[in-house]
Amino acid sequence: MISNVKNFGLFLIFISTFILFHACKQKPRQRDTKKIAVVISTLNNPWFMVLAESAVKEAESLGHEAKIFDSQNSTALEADHFENAIVSGYDAILFNPTDSDGSISNIQQAKIAGIPVFCMDREVNAKGVATSQILSDSYSGCVAIGKHFVKSLDKKGRYVEIIGMVGDNNTWNRSSGFHSVVDNYPDLIMVAQQSGEFDRNKSMEVMESILQAQPDIDAVFCGNDPMAMGAYQALVAAGLEDKVKVFGFDGASEVITSIQDGKIQATGMQFPELMAKTAAAFADQYFRGEREFPEKTPVSVELVTEENVRFYIEN
Amino acid sequence: MEKSTSIRNYRDILIKFQSLLALVILCFVLAMMTDIFFTSSNMLNVMRQISVNICISVGMTLVILTGGIDLSVGSILALSGALTAGFLKFGLELPFFDTFIGFTIFGAVLIGILSGTALGTFNGLAITVFRVPPFVATLAMLTIARGFTMLYTKGFPISGLGQNYAFIGTGWLLGIPVPVWIALTVVAIAFFVTNKTRLGRYIYAIGGNESAAQLSGINIRKIKTIVYAIAGGLAALGGIIVTSRLDSAQPNAGASYELDAIAAVVIGGTSLSGGKGTIGGTVLGAIIIGVLNNGLVLLNVSPFWQQVIKGFVILLAIIIDKSNTRK
Repeated sequence: MISNVKNFGLFLIFISTFILFHACKQKPRQRDTKKIAVVISTLNNPWFMVLAESAVKEAESLGHEAKIFDSQNSTALEADHFENAIVSGYDAILFNPTDSDGSISNIQQAKIAGIPVFCMDREVNAKGVATSQILSDSYSGCVAIGKHFVKSLDKKGRYVEIIGMVGDNNTWNRSSGFHSVVDNYPDLIMVAQQSGEFDRNKSMEVMESILQAQPDIDAVFCGNDPMAMGAYQALVAAGLEDKVKVFGFDGASEVITSIQDGKIQATGMQFPELMAKTAAAFADQYFRGEREFPEKTPVSVELVTEENVRFYIEN
Repeated sequence: MEKSTSIRNYRDILIKFQSLLALVILCFVLAMMTDIFFTSSNMLNVMRQISVNICISVGMTLVILTGGIDLSVGSILALSGALTAGFLKFGLELPFFDTFIGFTIFGAVLIGILSGTALGTFNGLAITVFRVPPFVATLAMLTIARGFTMLYTKGFPISGLGQNYAFIGTGWLLGIPVPVWIALTVVAIAFFVTNKTRLGRYIYAIGGNESAAQLSGINIRKIKTIVYAIAGGLAALGGIIVTSRLDSAQPNAGASYELDAIAAVVIGGTSLSGGKGTIGGTVLGAIIIGVLNNGLVLLNVSPFWQQVIKGFVILLAIIIDKSNTRK
């Protein structure tokens, strides 16, 4: 008897959830302010903080509510965020995916629920799933760095490459863009390739050890700017900072200053603010009835060197 | 009869010095494969790189000796490092009193150590007073301290801390890097505490048999809280060294450092169930991990393989340890 009552209670809760859920979905919202979820792969890196905060700022300035969800580099946690965003009635998702393949099913979920998803920075390898993708072109950016690298080394020399996390596709986009140029010059010899895990401290430690084995090098190419700073510090400690040229990627403000001071050779400037603004603007247009968006909007990466660094100094 | 005791003695010696033996073999193999390995500059390089892990691992050893675990050390390292950097660079503003307090290096470092010790004490109180299992309590602190680090730094690194502060992490004293001196001091004090003081004996007693320790009148709450406070303080010290070496407090500093520390403790022969183990063993464990990290990079081993190899070394250490205790 008691268990029957209990079961009936559960049944009621179950049914009422369904009723509520459907009601929620079918009833069109009558307000102009829309809720936007900003789902970001990680907030453990200043670059992504800029991306997330710019997205929120732009969404709010367009008159919408926005909230940041941190996926902590976990595709599983990202899936939870998507489920929560769908259930709690968000109207659009500005999305920085954790993984080019793993994140596809999450976007699919949102698409089924009728929520537009605008990808920022990292590309997902599927067509027609995301409403639009606003991408930083890491590959061509590193092609540009590669060309500058070849020029400043005068086509010959021994160099070290410090790559990011080995399981991250940005790591390999950047590395292969760089090598697509540099590998054409047989006198440019890579003496070591090691992972600095996108981390300043790890990069410094790896560089310290590499310098023990290979003190006679001419250049270092790093897959992001924190690693470039770490490698530079290892060079300073070894007294080699004037001899070895350091190249980074990201456009972090500390590296821009270092380029100005002649400590670091070049970096690839990415534009997180621009990507975030474009994504937020697209979402706003979507709310106004626009349905035609370009599948991909590449945001180019600009090469920053000593010659043009003055244009990138923040005021 | 005579023979069997001598075999047992021989085995005992082997067990006692197994980590040392592993280290010697590892060094021998690396020295055969690359002639850079045994240069004095590379040895000093390895010592400097492991000094942070040694500071953390010493604290971790004390915690594990009591039968506990501390997963929060990496996050505490990040928060204390960030606070030290922040107080040094920006000082403290008190809007209510309309005053500004600037901090000297000594003052900022003290703030860092105290904050780490306070967080460690919090861990200890959660474990002893509220009876939260150490794994859970310190897991919670891992998230809390990382969150506070993000709040304090707003997700951005605090860089440009000045030449004088850089001395802690990059300076030299009598031909040896300053971080190595710091680690040596920590090890010496911990060695003294575990071997010669009442606190040390109580730590072993609690880990060996907690109820027996309680019955014999040891204030378990107090000892455990002290141990977690020490672990927090040492993590903070590690944070100060890292921050100084990088000339920058990174919000994501110290991520997964707890795993390196636990690995050092375990490779050093300390039992995860408490009561058994030594500071010396942990130092050896930390050196083995450091030598391995360094050697794999010197040999330019692919980063994919490095993770696999490191994992197997830890596994091997545990298997040897287990086969000894089973006997």
